[in-house]
Amino acid sequence: MFNGFLNQIVQGILHGGLYAMFAVGLSLSVGVMRLINIAHGDFIVLASFVLFTLCTALGISPFLAMLIILPPAFVFGYLMQHVLLQKIVGSSNILPMILVTFGLSIIIENGLLIGYGPNPRKLLAGDLQIASLQLGGGVTVGLFPLITFGAAVALIFLLDLFLYRSRIGAKIRAVSDDVDAADLIGLSSKRIYAIAMGIVAMTIAISACFMGIRTNFDPSSGPTQLLTAFEVVVMGGLGSLWGTLFGGIMIGVAQAVGAQIDLAWEVLAGHLLFLLVLVVRPQGLLPKE
Amino acid sequence: MRSSSLQTNIVRSLRILLLLGIVALTFGPLYLDLGHLRFFTEVFSLLVLAMMWNLVAGYADIVTVGQHAFVGIGGYAFYAFAAKADLNVTEAMIAAGLLSLLIGIPITAVVFRMRAAYLAIGTWVVAEVCTLLASKIPGFGGASGITLPSTVIRAVGANVEARFSHLYWMALALAVVCFIATALLLRSRLGVGLMAMRDNEEAAGSVGVNIVVCRIVCFLWTALFLGLAGALLTLQNLRIQPQASFSLIDYTVYVIFAVVIGGIGSIEGSIIGVAVYIGLRSAFSDYGNLYLIFLGAVSIAIMLAEPRGIWGLVRRYLPEDVIPVSHRYRPKTEATPAE
Amino acid sequence: MVVGDASGAGPQPLLSVRRLKVFHGKFEAVHGVDMDVGEGEIVSIIGANGAGKSSLMKAIIGQVDRVEGDIRFDGQSLAGRATADIVAGGIALIPEGRRLFPSLSVEENLALGWEVGRKGEITLDDVFELFPILRERRRQKARELSGGQQQMVAVGRAMLSNPRLLLCDEISLGLAPTIINDIYKVIPSIRERGIGIIVVDQDIGRSLAVADRFYCMLEGDFSLTGRPRETDRDTVMKHYFGL
Ligand SMILES: Nc1ncnc2c1ncn2[C@@H]1O[C@H](COP(=O)(O)OP(=O)(O)OP(=O)(O)O)[C@@H](O)[C@H]1O
Ligand SMILES: [Mg+2]
Repeated sequence: MFNGFLNQIVQGILHGGLYAMFAVGLSLSVGVMRLINIAHGDFIVLASFVLFTLCTALGISPFLAMLIILPPAFVFGYLMQHVLLQKIVGSSNILPMILVTFGLSIIIENGLLIGYGPNPRKLLAGDLQIASLQLGGGVTVGLFPLITFGAAVALIFLLDLFLYRSRIGAKIRAVSDDVDAADLIGLSSKRIYAIAMGIVAMTIAISACFMGIRTNFDPSSGPTQLLTAFEVVVMGGLGSLWGTLFGGIMIGVAQAVGAQIDLAWEVLAGHLLFLLVLVVRPQGLLPKE
Repeated sequence: MRSSSLQTNIVRSLRILLLLGIVALTFGPLYLDLGHLRFFTEVFSLLVLAMMWNLVAGYADIVTVGQHAFVGIGGYAFYAFAAKADLNVTEAMIAAGLLSLLIGIPITAVVFRMRAAYLAIGTWVVAEVCTLLASKIPGFGGASGITLPSTVIRAVGANVEARFSHLYWMALALAVVCFIATALLLRSRLGVGLMAMRDNEEAAGSVGVNIVVCRIVCFLWTALFLGLAGALLTLQNLRIQPQASFSLIDYTVYVIFAVVIGGIGSIEGSIIGVAVYIGLRSAFSDYGNLYLIFLGAVSIAIMLAEPRGIWGLVRRYLPEDVIPVSHRYRPKTEATPAE
Repeated sequence: MVVGDASGAGPQPLLSVRRLKVFHGKFEAVHGVDMDVGEGEIVSIIGANGAGKSSLMKAIIGQVDRVEGDIRFDGQSLAGRATADIVAGGIALIPEGRRLFPSLSVEENLALGWEVGRKGEITLDDVFELFPILRERRRQKARELSGGQQQMVAVGRAMLSNPRLLLCDEISLGLAPTIINDIYKVIPSIRERGIGIIVVDQDIGRSLAVADRFYCMLEGDFSLTGRPRETDRDTVMKHYFGL
């Protein structure tokens, strides 16, 4: 019984890696341009469908497909920011931001419904999906969840390195600090925002790959991913990258514990933990540096 | 801007038209067939939802995307009071509205921990929680929901004609009460404070009202009316079911689109928005998903090009509002003696 | 009103401003002014709060809603050019209020000036030579510095853009007199490199002391222009307050 419980906790932690992956892009856009993109989850689902199409059309592995779409994803994010999202950031009036990204969400979801129908899909990654490892104490973990968790850590690590060690990273942090000052000294915030959004889109493509292998997805799964990502970002402390890993694990574990009580409590437990954290510590769980 | 007598006359005629419309609608069951009765009943409910979203998003600066929570709560509460506690239909409706208001208090306490866009998505999380919990309450049919008992349905009217007429009048009454009450709310000191806040943060302080309190009152105000609307919608649909009673699309998405197209920040806009939305729907609903894509694209375009919607466009050419709610705050330099 | 020989900018000035109007939304902050700055010339702009000095600076750098009139840098019109382009072309602004990036280190703040700039002879070492304290604090976050040190970073950041024209908006604001001395000391050495400098400062005495010429701004117009040494204090004050 106890082992079973421990096992669930471990699964929850590993699942948290996936949630951190969803959240890391949102965290970046919140941190850099104060943009909460309601279509974030729908973009993840959209990317999953693109991967699905590539995999079935070319008969390639989802990982290869992901590598192929990374550059176009960057360009897509860049243009998205440049053409549309730039118009809705930087205002104290949040209505355009909510409305435009909400509209995007509806457009993507219904576009996918037209293109692919309502059936759930999954990305196929062969044996990787079923392989598992025996750890001590009766804990068995799937190989793929373990890889996902590792990938999440690696992604956050790389992003952290990029933001704090590269020249573009410094520019992104500068714009995040004080966007008007950046414009005054000739650092074009518009361009930096577009680059940041391009990077967000790349994290979306990566998380879409792992999500698609791990779980079923259909055109209307977007809002679920958005809400999870949002909760993770708030719990981890707004805009903190490593915080998203922590927040992801919290939600993952809460869901695992909820699932012990009753399968339907799985999702509910994550939301309730979020609301609880909100009441107790609205600034998030991790102290901000 | 100097207004010509023509413009003033247009405003006057619109006002008379509005009043005549309400009077004409009051006698609807005398001349409308069942299909149209049902149609207008739905329009009235939608109007309440639109006016409430406009109140919070357009005046109180709370851009909620979770208002379906209160609609669903109203529906489930109505079922509880009518089918389980055996209250009569009217009592059950009012009780449902009040319960929605009551549940709104802890919800307010939680979501107001967040601000701006976070608050918006927070309301969505809350609605999600409510939907999931609704499927877990024992005795309410779980995930597949439950139909209203025939005693409740018959209590509305002995036959279909009577039922449709009564529902029509109930919906019309709710819409008119909601309309008048909200207009009065906006004309009160609280409304003046909110409008001052919308125009200029600092000015709000000088009006001498506590903005936080105003915003909370508005949010709870919508909890009450959305709960009432939820009860009414349950009577129309004859059943409760988590996904349907707490429908994000029907009670939040469409409503937001309608208000934005019609014009946010004015009651006229909500009325126009609902009319346009209904018109578009009857023309294009066969296109299903494509229609939603179209609606989404139109609202994005309006938000970027003309944020005050259709009414904002029309209003530029009119000397004053048709529904006079805005004792709009004016900077001192522009202060003019009372007309 | 012109006092003395005010045409100090030579045949083709580095910067020439003609009939410039500056708008914030519908509000007209500057009402059609003419101004010249030559290479290696220090020009002071003085004026009361709200006179429109910062508006003028922002207009030159391309950061206001709308301008009318003509701004030419090195004979080329700046109309419609993006700030990034203007800065890369050789104009740098030290913004009012310093506006460092608080979570970035001193070195990162300075490096940004280089990144956006013209890539010339002034390097990080030159800045550290002028402000040795910054070398010690190079790894510290900007928000941890004192006000004076922050102002040094702001000056250094703009210098690293290797401008041919440097705009200094209120570089002494809120600082102790000794620190102000330290900062003002570098201005002549910048001019030595042939860089034109516009100094905007509330500290009229100090700003006029370093300047070759000055413009006095009153409610969006130049009320007086001339050479500080040829203009007596009372005349300046009269035009400063619009008496
Ligand atoms: N972004 C803006 N929007 C609207 N009005 C502005 C804006 N910036 C400045 N103004 C107005 O333009 C006028 C000139 O302002 P500006 O900042 O240029 O003055 P200044 O001479 O730099 O004053 P100070 O010495 O206080 O810095 C003021 O009346 C100010 O209120
Ligand atoms: Mg200034």
